[in-house]
Amino acid sequence: MAEDNLCIALNQVGKSVDTPDGKLDILKNISLDVKYQEAVVIKGASGSGKTTLLGLMAGLDQASSGDVFLFGENLTRKSEEQRSSIRAGRVGFVFQSFHLVQGANAMQNVMLPLELAGKAGAQQLAMESLQQVGLAHKTGTLVEHLSGGEQQRVAIARAFAVKPQVLFADEPTGNLDAVTGRQIADLMFHLRDQSGTTLVLVTHENELLERGDRQILIESGKLLTSQA
Amino acid sequence: MKVGRATIHSYWLMFIATVITVSIVTSSQLITDRIGLLLDRQASELLAADMVIISSREFDADYRQQALQHGLQVSNSVSLRSAIFIGDDPQLVELKAVDDAYPLRGRLERTREVTGGRSATTEIPARGEVWVDTKLAQLVGSALTLGEAKFDTSWLLTFEPDRGGAIFNLAPRVLMNLEDLSRTGLVVPGSRVRYRMMFAGEQGDINRFKIWLTINLKAGEEIQDLENARPEMRQALESTRKFFALAIVLTLVIAMAAIAITARYTANREAPKVAMLRAFGISQQSLFRYYLRQLGSLWIVATVSGIALGWFTQFPLQWALDGWFGKTLPQVHSLKPYFSAGLVGLLALAGFSLPYLANATATPPMQVLRTAVNRRSWMRGLLITGSAIVAVFVVLVLLMQSSLLAVATLALVLACAFILPLILGWMVKLLLFSTQRRFWLRQYLLSRLQAASRGAIYVMSGFSLVLISILLIAVVKDELLGSWQEQLPENIPNYFLINIRSDDIEAVGAYMQQHRIEASTPYALARARLKQINSIDASAIDFVHPRAEHMIKHTFNITHARELPDQNEIIAGEWLDPDNPRPQLSVEQGMADKLGLEVGDELTLTVGSMTLRAPVTSIRSVVWENFKPNFYLIANPELLADLPQTGLLSAFIEEQNKADLKHLLQRFPSITLLDITELMARVRGIVDKASVALQFFFLFALASALIVLLAAIQTGRHEREIESSLLRALSAHTNQLYRVHILEFTLMGALIGFFSACFATVAGWAISVYFFNIEFHFSVAVWAYSLLSSCLVLTIAGTLVSRRVYNVSPMKILRS
Repeated sequence: MAEDNLCIALNQVGKSVDTPDGKLDILKNISLDVKYQEAVVIKGASGSGKTTLLGLMAGLDQASSGDVFLFGENLTRKSEEQRSSIRAGRVGFVFQSFHLVQGANAMQNVMLPLELAGKAGAQQLAMESLQQVGLAHKTGTLVEHLSGGEQQRVAIARAFAVKPQVLFADEPTGNLDAVTGRQIADLMFHLRDQSGTTLVLVTHENELLERGDRQILIESGKLLTSQA
Repeated sequence: MKVGRATIHSYWLMFIATVITVSIVTSSQLITDRIGLLLDRQASELLAADMVIISSREFDADYRQQALQHGLQVSNSVSLRSAIFIGDDPQLVELKAVDDAYPLRGRLERTREVTGGRSATTEIPARGEVWVDTKLAQLVGSALTLGEAKFDTSWLLTFEPDRGGAIFNLAPRVLMNLEDLSRTGLVVPGSRVRYRMMFAGEQGDINRFKIWLTINLKAGEEIQDLENARPEMRQALESTRKFFALAIVLTLVIAMAAIAITARYTANREAPKVAMLRAFGISQQSLFRYYLRQLGSLWIVATVSGIALGWFTQFPLQWALDGWFGKTLPQVHSLKPYFSAGLVGLLALAGFSLPYLANATATPPMQVLRTAVNRRSWMRGLLITGSAIVAVFVVLVLLMQSSLLAVATLALVLACAFILPLILGWMVKLLLFSTQRRFWLRQYLLSRLQAASRGAIYVMSGFSLVLISILLIAVVKDELLGSWQEQLPENIPNYFLINIRSDDIEAVGAYMQQHRIEASTPYALARARLKQINSIDASAIDFVHPRAEHMIKHTFNITHARELPDQNEIIAGEWLDPDNPRPQLSVEQGMADKLGLEVGDELTLTVGSMTLRAPVTSIRSVVWENFKPNFYLIANPELLADLPQTGLLSAFIEEQNKADLKHLLQRFPSITLLDITELMARVRGIVDKASVALQFFFLFALASALIVLLAAIQTGRHEREIESSLLRALSAHTNQLYRVHILEFTLMGALIGFFSACFATVAGWAISVYFFNIEFHFSVAVWAYSLLSSCLVLTIAGTLVSRRVYNVSPMKILRS
């Protein structure tokens, strides 16, 4: 059973997949705790298993072994629908490729998780969130007409609009140039500091690694260090 | 390059679309040729042959010889009028002497009693025997004198295939054996005799012989074949053929739309591969050659498969039609359908897919590094559009026999291709605008339809084109059949009573009323011959139309009327003025066209020994296929007042009233009774059977429609998966995903259904009015069918085909 102050807890978690050459272990015996309001940055090379780890922590995927707790709930034996319900309105995501809905404008994209979670006043909340990321003037613009940096701002606004307890960010600056990437990181950490949201960020960049409360290094599916 | 499984696997949708296209051409050409041949034969039965030559002199023996050398069957008949005596009363009869081969098409039917059962027979009267018209029923079993010979009257003749076009001019028929004719001594120099030489055989042989005959025909000899035989048959066949052509072309357009959409899908899918290959330094030309080889392989396999499929589809159709036609479809021995199919497949594949693949080969290698839409230059856009137009046009020209139909179809396809995306795009924008800041989910759905990456507008346009084509086939079919039904209601006259003496007309009318038989008002009939047009001798005028000469040489019926007869329409001038006693004439449109007559022209006619002069005051269109009394010329009553006339009326006589006929004929012996039930049934049958055959092509249309839908859904599948994965990550439940997709497909269906119904109604009206010359009726059913079918098909198929999308793991969003 996870402790009450833990937002996420992983206990001896493993993930393996079947390949034509046999079983491939992506993650091996991972044990990791993330406290509420903590900012954890996970760094690893390509293929190290960091995205898989993020997916397991967010309940997007299921572990092959061990237990994953999110908000105190054991996700291991939960169905996709049940895991969705646990995430609803409490989890935000920021992706490397932004993953905005093409053909919809900035406002509609930010309203999307609010509508799905059935939150009242979705439009108002979305507007506030867009103001926070400095895009109040581009609410009606189709997202494909925005720059990469602006698109990631919309994605951040979308993530924070539901006032999540935890924000999962997968290489949030990976598709951006250095300057824009730094601005996006600043914005994200600023909003996290303001809201006290727990942050789990996966990256391969050292600059981002240093901004977390805790740094975790992963290599070949194993945690190497977990520094406070 | 090896025709590998890999090619077909990569382009399987395009492959299926091409197979369907080739199959449609193969089977439609095979089937329509076979049905056409059967329809011709059925119609031939009304000529008793495939082709007939008519003359007032005996034919040169060389004709028979040549026909036999051309592999044709030949039969001869001789017709003349003669008088017989019934008791002491003379009766004019139409004597016809036939040889053993008669009839070459169709069968004679005979009975022992007027009310008795009829039986078809392959026999003709034996020597010394005659078969007589039902009008002469009282003669059966007795001896009949014809000229110098006596005959036994053994049967009543109830049906003969070539009863003749001028059905109101028949004296009672007496059929005899040709070998007995000389015994009668009726044929002497100066006798008015009509010789008919009939031919039947394979269409190719007939065509070849017709060419020979046309060159060698002598003055006074006239060829009659299906094209210039019965007007009601000709129109039925013409409409049926036009309809077949239209339906098949529309089905083909659907199949080609499927190729276009699948080609677009394939090209989009190949773009990343091309980008990667170009990044590795493979030239655009090499890539184009590579795709050319792939397409070549695909065409070969698809053509072979399509031809095989098309060939096999003859059998279920033949099986289905045999029951209706009561006979086997004749075989067509020609390689043309297979060559046409291969060529159309190649044209469609090249025209629609090559430009797309050429565009794909231009995918910038930069796309390897950054996913960007490969925007087309206007030149490449022009290439894609131009190539598709040329492909469609060449296919239409190849397959269509009517240039009007080819141009109209091309216009329709172009209108759809250019206007549909625009209009559908505007409709979505309009909906978006009207729902701004309200009902977010609806707006989100509309955004999805507008998303360029998914190409939803083009998919919708493609599916609209399919639906419009299917609706058009249905609309025009209904209109065509509806118009036939209107012209042939159940209780239309099935008997004509002709040769009613003017003194008997009132009594006959009273008899009909007394026995509750529905009958028309009688028309007075006189036989007229056209002598002069605007005081110029008609025989001296050089007419352009080949049938004009026939009209000048022969007599035709003229009647008088105060009111315009049913289903006649004035197209020029004004109907006969009842208050004006001066001579007036109304001319049938076909006659006016053939003779080049216009309102104001003055005609000089001879009726018996009298001469009439009257101006043409109106030109009428006549529905010949309605089986009602129709006339080339109608005069005002004053013009015909002093002329000898007989009466004609039509009646609907039910089975139970048939016994009354016998009494009627006994009481009014001058009357000739003409039963047209059989003729009507045959004409009606042609349209019915043609529509059954067409249902079959709906299967192809539906198969193509499904391919379009499948390609359409596949086109946006990757985006859908990513989007579903995103929604999953954002905590969407499965039912929410279902709801979004179902609503999207339903909305798509509603837009497509609405637009297609609009388009089909307008196009259906245009085709009915301008192409088939039939009246158009607005159909609510078309709208209901369009909206319902479109919503249901898209929602069900879309939801089923993309069901995997709903189960996509949210992890996909991290991996993408």
